[in-house]
Amino acid sequence: MGQLSLKSVIKTFGEFEVVKGVSLDVHEGEFVVFVGPSGCGKSTLLRMIAGLEHTTDGDIVIDGKRVNDLPPVKRGIAMVFQSYALYPHMTVFENIAFPLRVEKAPADVIKKKVEAAAAILHLDTRLQQKPGQLSGGQRQRVAIGRAIVREPEIFLFDEPLSNLDAALRADMRIELTRLHKQLGATMIYVTHDQIEAMTMADRIVVLNGGHIAQVGAPLELYHKPQNTFVAGFIGNPRMNLLPARCVGTSAAAVTVQCQGQTITLPVAGREGLVGSDLLLGIRPEHVALGRVDVTLRVVPHVVEQLGQQTVGYAALEGREENFLFVLPGTRGIQDDQPLDVGFRAGDCHLFDAEGNALERQVDLAALTAPAG
Amino acid sequence: MARKNTDTRAMIDRYRWWEVMAIYAGIFVFLFFLLSPFIEGFLVSLKPLSQLFSSPYRFWPENGSFKAYSTMWDSVPAFGWYIFNSFLISTVATIIVLLLVVPAAYAFARFEYAGMALVLGGFLAVSMFSGAVLLIPLFRLMRTLGLLNTYFAMIVPGVAFLIPSAIWLLRTYMMRIPVELNEAAYMDGASQFYTFRRVILPIAMPGIVVVAITTFIGAYAQQFIFALTFNSKTEYMPLPVGLFAYFGKQDVIWNELMAASFVGIAPALIIIFFLQRYLVGGLTAGAVKQ
Repeated sequence: MGQLSLKSVIKTFGEFEVVKGVSLDVHEGEFVVFVGPSGCGKSTLLRMIAGLEHTTDGDIVIDGKRVNDLPPVKRGIAMVFQSYALYPHMTVFENIAFPLRVEKAPADVIKKKVEAAAAILHLDTRLQQKPGQLSGGQRQRVAIGRAIVREPEIFLFDEPLSNLDAALRADMRIELTRLHKQLGATMIYVTHDQIEAMTMADRIVVLNGGHIAQVGAPLELYHKPQNTFVAGFIGNPRMNLLPARCVGTSAAAVTVQCQGQTITLPVAGREGLVGSDLLLGIRPEHVALGRVDVTLRVVPHVVEQLGQQTVGYAALEGREENFLFVLPGTRGIQDDQPLDVGFRAGDCHLFDAEGNALERQVDLAALTAPAG
Repeated sequence: MARKNTDTRAMIDRYRWWEVMAIYAGIFVFLFFLLSPFIEGFLVSLKPLSQLFSSPYRFWPENGSFKAYSTMWDSVPAFGWYIFNSFLISTVATIIVLLLVVPAAYAFARFEYAGMALVLGGFLAVSMFSGAVLLIPLFRLMRTLGLLNTYFAMIVPGVAFLIPSAIWLLRTYMMRIPVELNEAAYMDGASQFYTFRRVILPIAMPGIVVVAITTFIGAYAQQFIFALTFNSKTEYMPLPVGLFAYFGKQDVIWNELMAASFVGIAPALIIIFFLQRYLVGGLTAGAVKQ
């Protein structure tokens, strides 16, 4: 149990359409993350699943049952809010017990369930404290505890870690992943943080302007983005996109001219491509020093030394946007000193004039196969 | 204060000695204007009657005593009754106002409906009316309803005048309670009423106490004009009108009048003292990350 289907779901606020016909199947026990920029409709979509927003059109189906008109409590779901939404006048125990008190559960059941949830979340010693006495991470755990005691089939998380500092966020990511394994429940998680999405998700749903831009496993989105939006959104720093012109194509390769060089890329070609304008994508972390398949002479005007890596921002001739490159470790690169950087043709992505990807000839299974 | 600032305090919080002096001087002038009538009233209550009209006028009492505080009860035997009436009228008015205003303010804070701005604006407009302007129509209304010379004549109009400002005050407070708490309770299966009773009401308590105090004081203060107009019977007379009993045909017993005024406000002070325990700031601390 815990299977969710969205069928052409639409949400409008007055004249403004926020969610524009989203269809999605979430499997039982799956950890699905919604990501996207501000205003893309990800939180609205979550609130529609929760039952906090009315669905303008389309169906929300949980375990085969249409739930559009059911209140949250009858949908078998629980939600953890970004702002925790704890009851400040109640103790941790009472906060976690709240849903059980609402359904008038017997006192011994309440005690047992609250203590079990507290044990899972390491809140055993905090049960008699009030939210005001807890740290941010502990408060968020209380909010999760309140969701756990209801034993829902689907957990909804609305940016639950965005109010925590970086170190605590990393800890809570691990805790949530552990919790997902322990409970085995379906979890739908909204975030704008792509590290959370990449590290926790079984599948990521990238939303853009109320549409699904792509659904896929984290590494699928990274290695095979279907369009320039996903290519730019997944990966940090964002992918470089360089204008290119197609000069030849075959079933498994496309030859382009880019920055005055002719390159043959291992992407699926198609008819009518020759002569058209394309965009060549290369992730900054795939750029290396020296001469490779494609070599560019760049002059970095800003160099960020982060210790574990060196980030360069360079201007390319005839282009306003920066060309970014990330080099591992600490490199002796200086501002305004020209240098040669390059990248392999096999690391490149290619997008047509509409921004849709030409499929890369990459074997994802081979990339993610266990080492050794 | 200025020199005790620790290094952790922001620079903007630091004052030079002359700035501190200026602040205290400002506070002193403000308090002087605010408190001087009360101070003089209290000193008058300590003076023997003969000293009040002596020339030149003496600010500080000579042979001052609390005698007026005991003789005032003999001069106006019904005085205790007046205090009780005042207390009763204000308490009942406050309870009625709270019963009506707390759910109303919650509804105005949480639910949006067509014409809400008009209704709220209407409340504001009503509260701008001076009670005196409406005295004659109110008198006719009270007479028609047969409420003249009853407690109701002093409670009902009082409640009507106190409701608008109470709604505005409490609505503003309740709007500050994060709406996520309602949503969380709704997700947990709580009904609107359950959420109101178990979640909103306890969090809104400091706001409710503020409204209770201001309503009680308002009800105490406005009794004068309503009692004077709608009541002629001693048994229903509240304190503000009852104080006129110290105005004799020939003279005014000023020291007892002042003593009675101070004794008269004591119940209100006790109520406020009792209620202010509940004025705990930051009760929503930890509810949501702001």
